[in-house]
Amino acid sequence: MMTDYDVIRHSHPQIDSLEKVTGKLKFMSDLRFPDMLWGHIVRSPYAHARIRNIDLSQAEKVPGVKAIITASDTPLIPCGPFVPDWEILAQNRVKFIGQEVAAVAALTPDIAAYAASLIKIEYEELPTVFDPEEAMKQDSPQLYENKPGNIADTFSVEKGDLETAFKESAFVREETFYTSSAFHAYLEPNGSIVSYDFTKDSYTMWLATQVPYKAWVLYSQALGIERSKLRIIQAPIGGGFGGKFESNLHLVNACLSRKANQPVRLVNTLEEEFVTAPLRVPMKIKIKMGITQDGIITAKEVEVIADNGARTNYGPASLMTACYRVDSLYRIQNVRAKGYLVYTNNVPKGAMRGFGNPQMILAVESVLDQLAEEAGIDRIEIRKKNAFRDGEVSVHGWIINSCGLVECLDKASEALKSVVEKKELPPHKKRGFGVACCNHVSGYRPILKEFDGSSAMVKVGPDAKIIVFTGEVDMGQGYKTVAAMAAAEELGVPLQQVEVASVDSATSVLGIGCLASRGTVMGGNAVKKAAADLKEKLLEASQELFGKEKRFLQIRSGNFIDATSGEILGPFQDVIAKLTGKHAGKPFIGLGDYVPDTVFPDPVTKYGNPSPAYSFAAHIAEVEVDLETGKVEVSNYIAANDVGQVINPLLANGQLEGGALQGIGWVLSENLVIQKREILNKNFLDYKIPTFADSVHTKPLLIEAQDPNGPYGAKSLGEPAFNPVAAAVCNAIYHAVGIRVKHLPLRPENLLEALRQGKREI
Amino acid sequence: MEAHIRFNLNGKDMELNVPPHKRFLDLLRVDLGLMGTKEGCGEGECGACTILLDGKAVNSCLLLAIEVNGAKVLTIEGLSQNNALHPLQKAFIDEGAVQCGFCTPGMILASKALLDENPHPTEEEIKIGLSGNFCRCTGYSSIIRAVKSVSGGQ
Repeated sequence: MMTDYDVIRHSHPQIDSLEKVTGKLKFMSDLRFPDMLWGHIVRSPYAHARIRNIDLSQAEKVPGVKAIITASDTPLIPCGPFVPDWEILAQNRVKFIGQEVAAVAALTPDIAAYAASLIKIEYEELPTVFDPEEAMKQDSPQLYENKPGNIADTFSVEKGDLETAFKESAFVREETFYTSSAFHAYLEPNGSIVSYDFTKDSYTMWLATQVPYKAWVLYSQALGIERSKLRIIQAPIGGGFGGKFESNLHLVNACLSRKANQPVRLVNTLEEEFVTAPLRVPMKIKIKMGITQDGIITAKEVEVIADNGARTNYGPASLMTACYRVDSLYRIQNVRAKGYLVYTNNVPKGAMRGFGNPQMILAVESVLDQLAEEAGIDRIEIRKKNAFRDGEVSVHGWIINSCGLVECLDKASEALKSVVEKKELPPHKKRGFGVACCNHVSGYRPILKEFDGSSAMVKVGPDAKIIVFTGEVDMGQGYKTVAAMAAAEELGVPLQQVEVASVDSATSVLGIGCLASRGTVMGGNAVKKAAADLKEKLLEASQELFGKEKRFLQIRSGNFIDATSGEILGPFQDVIAKLTGKHAGKPFIGLGDYVPDTVFPDPVTKYGNPSPAYSFAAHIAEVEVDLETGKVEVSNYIAANDVGQVINPLLANGQLEGGALQGIGWVLSENLVIQKREILNKNFLDYKIPTFADSVHTKPLLIEAQDPNGPYGAKSLGEPAFNPVAAAVCNAIYHAVGIRVKHLPLRPENLLEALRQGKREI
Repeated sequence: MEAHIRFNLNGKDMELNVPPHKRFLDLLRVDLGLMGTKEGCGEGECGACTILLDGKAVNSCLLLAIEVNGAKVLTIEGLSQNNALHPLQKAFIDEGAVQCGFCTPGMILASKALLDENPHPTEEEIKIGLSGNFCRCTGYSSIIRAVKSVSGGQ
């Protein structure tokens, strides 16, 4: 049902673009305070060691040093976003190379670095373990006394009757996949400025986080203070991709500021980002899937062994999504998943765009292709056969109100005909096409115990500027713009009339943050309601002014109008000035909350609908494989995503183009080189993220299945833009040269070796 | 032991004493309060610190302040004249080539250096010419479109 929208469905650049192109926008690292000190962290050079002694004496003597902290200067309260295994500064043992042991605050960064170099720490090395399967063994070094077998978390779910289902399958396939870790590689390093005020025993933090509210909750708990003693002021985020959730860095900063009694700025170097980001959870996935003769998926069984690294970030959520999110991509009735998140002395692992979904999608979509091949069924057709129809419920009780997967597959394959490279390839190159699908949530109930959803406040004062207060944040994807667009649409004013306030724990409404691709649906719905509430109040108040009843009044294109005749009664600015003028400038405020009808899945059965809307996508990759060098080039890419309803085509296409290249980087070029247990390439020269020279022609297709729960029918896009990419590329490689990619990343030398040796998989 | 340097910054003549080891990026951000130029990697890989030195795009994180002596420097703050946007700035906005914005100042300056040297680059020349600037958000396509839209008609 296509309505004529004034603001929604139109392309708008991000509302803070002007500040960004002029360099005026202040990121967290651009902030300065007159009495600000510079912080420097001393990090462990060992992967596992007991701390025998810390000698600060030389460092303390350096002129310009204001504070040095070690564990005894921290509250020693166990904390963490999932498992309370964080130590702000290492207490007795260090468990990964790069773990924080001490920190210095000084007048200049040079002084802080110099003093840090004078801190003498005696370590006694302990046995280490780096492989998750090794770590699970009885005789492996234990990282945490209360976590036997180094198991940080497990996940298990089972539905249906797998034994019978596999027995009755016409084709069954068992495979093992290894998906690599990866670095988010946002350009803005993580950091904060924290100012401790001893007169109030309170902290103010300026930082850029995807989850201000969750950070507020965790940090106040970790510092042993009431939430009212902590103020979090959000700065614009220079890229997140799941790497800017709650961070120990901010807690170190808080303790440093407390000791120094001055504001302290603590920003990571790029090298420090590589060890603390935390990187994508690498997984070993054993998968078994079956289909009927006609291509209907009968059963799916997986075992996931995931590396958590030495302390827990969003690994549990990544494990969970890997294990069972994809069960609601297709109509599978028989599923079993068993997952283990394992402590090792590797650097901490956590969430990155898609959490665990991209990992499992690689496995499922590869095996589905294998089964299709065995059964002689077209790869597009087999996926269409297994797709949901609107209103169906998945095996785990996920209510798929809208599913545009079939349309995605149709439109993508149609687009392929016009987009495909026509030119003939030289004999040393082979071309192939691959398709992969994905699903995703739009927000996820289990993220926060206290509540799900979002709230918003929309205010207009005498200057007629509309200010949106939303608890959700923009990490560059354009959430602020979506929020402003929803407010402008509801209020009937031009987008330029709307501003979105920064999140500030002292003044903002609450939100859960930007993860699970929840911004548009959760925040958008709340803002839409708050703006509608504001409009009601404005129309109510303007009755007296115009001598008309509310039902004959409307606001459209920045004017108050007669709802029946369309006659302009007064420009928005003038009317607001009059209405607020009557009551000493009192602003009008609209409030809205969106509480979706979601549930915490049952802790044992995992049954329950955790999200108000589910997105789907079908991507097609065209690759050219060079048989002489093993290099793979993605010559064309088609991304068809069911976004429910397009809010802003310009920004939506931006997500698809960005997500596609990020996914291609994960498969083809991004490789963390780990030798002697350490990441050797903690820099952009040797950790190769895609550059301009690697950019790909991506055709974005926005499919609209119109979700009843989404604002204006919209659903998530941020992660579904990334989820299927690796699988699509790998399926294309198989199509080109008959080699199944089961280890990420794919290195040209490995592909070349496989080609020369006639291997069928790598 | 400080060095005395004279250079032109965004049209203004500057005269300063700087320690010889000071990076030009730090002179901009710490001493002169010009925050538009960003630090992404500190190693000359990401291009977020790009400035124009006598018209050439350079990584200011690898430039010592003393090296700008006698030169003309352009930072993002100097790009818009009389509060009017440079065509590249306008094109970046219109094409959605700005997402998180962290790479943007460096990216725009690198684009300007490219177009100043090669006013009508092919797509391949744009890709090679800008390959010293990373963007993690956009996938580069919108940036290429922005640069093309400026070089196309002009």
